[in-house]
Amino acid sequence: MLLAACLVAFSAQAADDGAQEARAWLERMSAALASRNYDGLFTHATGRQVETMRIVHRVSDGKTYERLVSLDGSGREIVRTRDEVHAYLPDRRVVLVEPRGDEGSLLKALPTPGPKLDKYYDLSVSKGSRLLGREVVVIDVRPLDIYRYGYRLWLDHETAMPLQTVVADGAGNPIEHIRFTQLQVKDKIPTRDIEPTVDASGFQWIRTGRKLAAMPELPAKGGWRPLRVPPGFRLVASRLQSIPGSPMPAQHLIFSDGIAAISIFIEPSAPSGPRPPESSTMGSANAYITSVKGHVITAIGEVPAATVREIANSVAPVQEVPRPTVVEPGGAAR
Amino acid sequence: MQPMPNFPPPDESMKSREPGDDDGGLSAGTEQSDLELVRRAQRNERGAFDLLVLKYQHKVVKLVARLLRDPTEAEDVAQEAFVKAYRALGSFRGDSAFYTWLYRIAVNTARNTIASRQRRPLDYEAELSESEQNNVAARLKHDDTPEASALSEEIRVTVNEAIEQLPEDLRTAIVLREVEGLSYEEIAEAMDCPVGTVRSRIFRAREAIDRALQPLLD
Amino acid sequence: MTDQIREQLSALLDGELPKDEMGLLVRRLEKDATLRRTFGTYALIGETLRAPGGRIARTDFAARVGAAIDAAEGIAPAAQAAVAGSDIRPQAGQGAPASGATRGRRVAFWQRPMVRTALAASAAVVAVVLFRPGTTPVVAELEPQPASAVALVNSSPAPAQSQRLASYMVAHSQYSTPLVRRNVLTSLLAADPGITRVSYEMGDAP
Repeated sequence: MLLAACLVAFSAQAADDGAQEARAWLERMSAALASRNYDGLFTHATGRQVETMRIVHRVSDGKTYERLVSLDGSGREIVRTRDEVHAYLPDRRVVLVEPRGDEGSLLKALPTPGPKLDKYYDLSVSKGSRLLGREVVVIDVRPLDIYRYGYRLWLDHETAMPLQTVVADGAGNPIEHIRFTQLQVKDKIPTRDIEPTVDASGFQWIRTGRKLAAMPELPAKGGWRPLRVPPGFRLVASRLQSIPGSPMPAQHLIFSDGIAAISIFIEPSAPSGPRPPESSTMGSANAYITSVKGHVITAIGEVPAATVREIANSVAPVQEVPRPTVVEPGGAAR
Repeated sequence: MQPMPNFPPPDESMKSREPGDDDGGLSAGTEQSDLELVRRAQRNERGAFDLLVLKYQHKVVKLVARLLRDPTEAEDVAQEAFVKAYRALGSFRGDSAFYTWLYRIAVNTARNTIASRQRRPLDYEAELSESEQNNVAARLKHDDTPEASALSEEIRVTVNEAIEQLPEDLRTAIVLREVEGLSYEEIAEAMDCPVGTVRSRIFRAREAIDRALQPLLD
Repeated sequence: MTDQIREQLSALLDGELPKDEMGLLVRRLEKDATLRRTFGTYALIGETLRAPGGRIARTDFAARVGAAIDAAEGIAPAAQAAVAGSDIRPQAGQGAPASGATRGRRVAFWQRPMVRTALAASAAVVAVVLFRPGTTPVVAELEPQPASAVALVNSSPAPAQSQRLASYMVAHSQYSTPLVRRNVLTSLLAADPGITRVSYEMGDAP
């Protein structure tokens, strides 16, 4: 009996150690992604679509520059310059421009995976068979409720770069698969590799976004916020998003549980009136758009569709500032 | 700080495979010429895109047929790939050779077709790496229709016979061009004659083979 | 004379035709089917010499590609809703912003079939077992979703709305955690935000 208890305690401890080791790996991975210079090709597969893309990432003068481009004919490109993010959509002849947040303070504002993560995700680490000729560790991030997705990451043992990532739902069904076919971690990245190659002449440039609000705070009167938030998600940033062609900016709230993030945008409805609710899926990101009291609520996040729908449907105008209620895991969310 | 090592590509299927691997057709001149055709196509000269289709149709059909379970679908899928390429022409910058770009579009169109059929999206790699790696086995595995196999065989035989019949200078010129992938300049040097003569010899060789093929292709 | 033109074709195939001769040749080709056919045969000869056997394109292949391009530039092929999965029950006259069926309307070529439905219909992958055997995920109560209340309609999105969604995606991606940021951005590159849309009936709103 005592032996059984010891064994249980031992394996529980081992599981804890495993979770801690997994967390450490994730932190190493985040650091590598942020600080290394690299240039790679990867495939991105969802459901019926497979695309090849290239990513170039450079850190210089303390700033991150990045270029992500689709190689399969859509020609889409995302470039992070010194001050802005440009999304080139040649198929629409549009360039979307967002100002960059101040990443230094941003990284601090986001909750790094911490001990509380264990309540919502089961983290574990194991050894994997080699990928791209490299030794890898496999990190499993398994969601403990239906509000989140799960992840399996194959990290290069030496650099912690993610060579392969699968996003899956709670039952283990894969939703998205990203896999590097070539990856060079370099000393130097030539400037031309992080410059856009799309010929954007004649494109429409759409500028949005405004500076990050100083402190992540729920607005008091006159603001909006979700009354129901999935467990573990907390507000990490609040800002205004300017809408082209409209004098009123949208409110932008960002919630995160340390692994996934959900953005909520609240803006006044168009004069034409409310639209029926709509759902969209973009790979492992889901969006839900609905109308409440003359406002359009858009929720986007790397979470299941039901989660964004619920959070969007719970958004309401604030008269006073009570704390948002948290849905109990296992309970019905009505 | 030491430069980090490059990760080698894992296996043949995922390596950025040079389309020139199994043919000598590509040369620097071809790339430039293709690029010029692309530019014209981008300026709405449809004839230019037609030329690119005519030039690469067999390559793409053959490639796609290798990748699909059912080779009879190859033409439909190849057609889809060309249409995709046409729609995406605006974003082709000339960083790579046109055929390299087209090749990737064709491979992905084939993959998407397989993935959508099978509804097991993550299995596609297992399927493809096998057939991509083993061309011969794949050709043997995929039973094409008897008509298609017969025609393809007849064409091969006809072309070979016609080549054998050619005068030696014409035969040498076209083999150096099509099989060895030499440019006119290089062939001129190899055959010790002017470039214009090379151009004329290759043309006459093609004309002769074309005449032999006409009854088959009508 | 014709010989001269055909010789130009031969040189063009080899990439050895001077650029300034291309324009005229291209224009001739647009008008002359025999010339096009010849060019195709020249290409076939090379293919046969280099990699004999295997499938070749039929004689009318290029013409069919041309026709397909013409079709793609014009009216879209019949409803994409026919693809992938039984979840879609198209209904007419929805009152959705751009009502239901796309059949016969001029729509942008970049509308892709619904990824969501395809995923819902796809079987779990056997090859990749994501979670340790022996552990089961906690099954919390899902939001009840009475099937009768939800009719899924393919709505063709107004461009302004899709752009709004795309810019929201970009804005959101800046705040994603490092673990998922890559995925969000690549989704933006790959998918067309707003295209894979479903409209819920009004009855579903709380």
